[in-house]
Amino acid sequence: MHASRIAGVAFAGLLLSSVAVLAGPKTVSGPGADPQCFKPWNEKTKYLQWDKKPGPYRIAVVNGFVGNTWRIQMIKTAKAYAEQPGVKEKIKEFKVISTGTDVAAQLGAMEDFINQGYDAIVTIAVSPEGFDRVIRLADKNNVVVVPFDNVLDTDKVMMVNEDQLEMGKIYGRWLREQLGDKKSGKILEVRGLPGNSVDRDRHIGFQEVMKNGANFEIIEVVGNWDDGTAQKVTADAIAAHGKFDGIIVQGGSTGVTRAMQDAKHPWVPIAGESENGFRKLLAQYGKDGLKGLSVGQSPGLVAIATKAALSALEGNPMPQLISVPIPQARYDEMKDGANYWSNLTDNFFTVNEFKPCNVNITATEIMAKDEKNTTN
Amino acid sequence: MSRPTADWLIRLRQNTGLASAIALFLAFYLFYNIFHPKGFSTPVLVQNADEAIALAMVAMAQTIPVLMGGLDLSVGAVMTMVNCLASHLVIGSPLQIAFGIVTCIAAGAAFGFANGCIVVYGRIQPIITTLATGAIAIGIALFLRPKPGGKVDEDLSWALTNSLSDFAETYGLFDGGKAAWFQPIAWIPAALVLLVLVILLIWVPFRRTVIGRTIYAVGSAEGAAFMSGLPVDRAKIAAFTLSGVFAALGGLFLAIQTSSGNADLPQASAYTLNSIAAVVLGGTSLLGGSGSAVGSVFGALILRVISFNFRIFDIPPLMQSLVEGLILLAAVSLGGLRVLQVKNRLELFR
Repeated sequence: MHASRIAGVAFAGLLLSSVAVLAGPKTVSGPGADPQCFKPWNEKTKYLQWDKKPGPYRIAVVNGFVGNTWRIQMIKTAKAYAEQPGVKEKIKEFKVISTGTDVAAQLGAMEDFINQGYDAIVTIAVSPEGFDRVIRLADKNNVVVVPFDNVLDTDKVMMVNEDQLEMGKIYGRWLREQLGDKKSGKILEVRGLPGNSVDRDRHIGFQEVMKNGANFEIIEVVGNWDDGTAQKVTADAIAAHGKFDGIIVQGGSTGVTRAMQDAKHPWVPIAGESENGFRKLLAQYGKDGLKGLSVGQSPGLVAIATKAALSALEGNPMPQLISVPIPQARYDEMKDGANYWSNLTDNFFTVNEFKPCNVNITATEIMAKDEKNTTN
Repeated sequence: MSRPTADWLIRLRQNTGLASAIALFLAFYLFYNIFHPKGFSTPVLVQNADEAIALAMVAMAQTIPVLMGGLDLSVGAVMTMVNCLASHLVIGSPLQIAFGIVTCIAAGAAFGFANGCIVVYGRIQPIITTLATGAIAIGIALFLRPKPGGKVDEDLSWALTNSLSDFAETYGLFDGGKAAWFQPIAWIPAALVLLVLVILLIWVPFRRTVIGRTIYAVGSAEGAAFMSGLPVDRAKIAAFTLSGVFAALGGLFLAIQTSSGNADLPQASAYTLNSIAAVVLGGTSLLGGSGSAVGSVFGALILRVISFNFRIFDIPPLMQSLVEGLILLAAVSLGGLRVLQVKNRLELFR
């Protein structure tokens, strides 16, 4: 009886000591470092602070799915950013791997990098759930994990994203602005991958603005963020509905614009993604009435996520959820070689400059990277 | 009288596929551990075991229909369905957790049983049957988990994804894992123990039953098996049922590992395709009749160990798929080398 009680006390002590060993970030009060760049999501966002580690650091990027141009450009951007002066000196080793759409493989890869003693892991999560164990291990080993783009349903790690709801509202506001006094008419909404939170949030934001004091008929079609699919469904919609007064497209904007061109649909106001092909068309036909706004979820988010990881490793307080400014450009702002490139392919994503963060990865830098896994 | 060939040599000749799969896996794994900064340590082994076990289970699930000369395209989907079910049920009191685990395995078995019945009584090819039922399984998974979420008991999750010493500590067994006799085995990952238990308690006894042997017989020559009075129909149903059980175990572990459920269609397809690759790598013939679930486990381990090495060595990220494909092609080609030894070319058509 006595012995078991002593054992119990000892066990409790063991538990306590193991709690003390569990490191991980402290919750602190703001403001954080570089608030222009690392903008907190909202006023309720808490701040995290890790113990300062001596550099240079070892950083791993654990991507999931690879196989569309956005992801490939993201990987190229990651490498280009790690090579930039001012960043290169802080990084001892930079590794990029893709695990495919298998959560076990992604979790495994992250845990492996923790075991290997990496300092930070930047990732696009395959699933918003299921990372509890990896987060626990990362905290225990003082590793900074930074999910971006597809983020997790947790507030225990630092995450980086653009506000998708706001992006939907930007689409809506642009159309309302261009349509002026018009309060009714047909609008085409080309949506993204069904079931995805990004698609859902942009849709909600867009609908909210369009329905505010107006009576538009909004026709929804599913374009899967893909030029081919978007072009086909737009052509079908134009055939079925005749003329639209405005169009918004979440992705595959080049395809949608080409469908308008093919169907001899008059140029109308449009809001779309940041593909190079779309911007080429805006530059060419903007003066004829293709009054477009190009807004982008940038593959360059990986650079901001990496920058945030470095800042956290240097011991700065960081917002738990970082809202990256949404890059946008109007048809009358298009400038060849600055925000679009007539000599590059249509599916290149153009937005790679984040002025408040002092981050700019130029197109030539990205395209020059031959996807080699650099270790320096 | 010529000297009889040693027993072990005969066994080796009969199992060249399995033997070469094990050799290939060990070679890659040794390589990985040597170059890993913390190679040959428990955390690395634990991580590797956790990552591989779900795929190993699904590969075993695929093996049994393949032995019979069919393909099961629903294994990944059944795994996903049980993953979602487990994220609802495997939580609460110990009794509730036990009930949840049993229900999950039963759900997989029932699904497999239905597959078997459709194949046998509906007289539809397994590949078509399971293509359809796989879609149903994903449908059920989406119904159970329209968006990722759920929860699995934290203790169970922690205990089964760590070493045996953590397992004992979590449940206060063997003096909290401190018993002297326990130390020599305390470093073994719980997941690995689970896998070995599944093989020893389910696969090995099953293979020795009449039903188990009938599955091999059906794979080599279904007509002959039928004429010999073997229970062909029962064997087919049993094969799919057991396949469902293995897929369920995979899904259950995935839920325990991620502490959540996710009706992820691309992931389900990836697991189905990888399971077929694992079966072939493990030396099981896609024509049926020869091979074993143990081989497929090593096939799955080979698939995993190749990507382990990507984390150690510098391979351009966009080249990784290509490199993986080339290695797999080379590995499968090794199995084809026996063609060169054939004395009579007609043997190839047997």
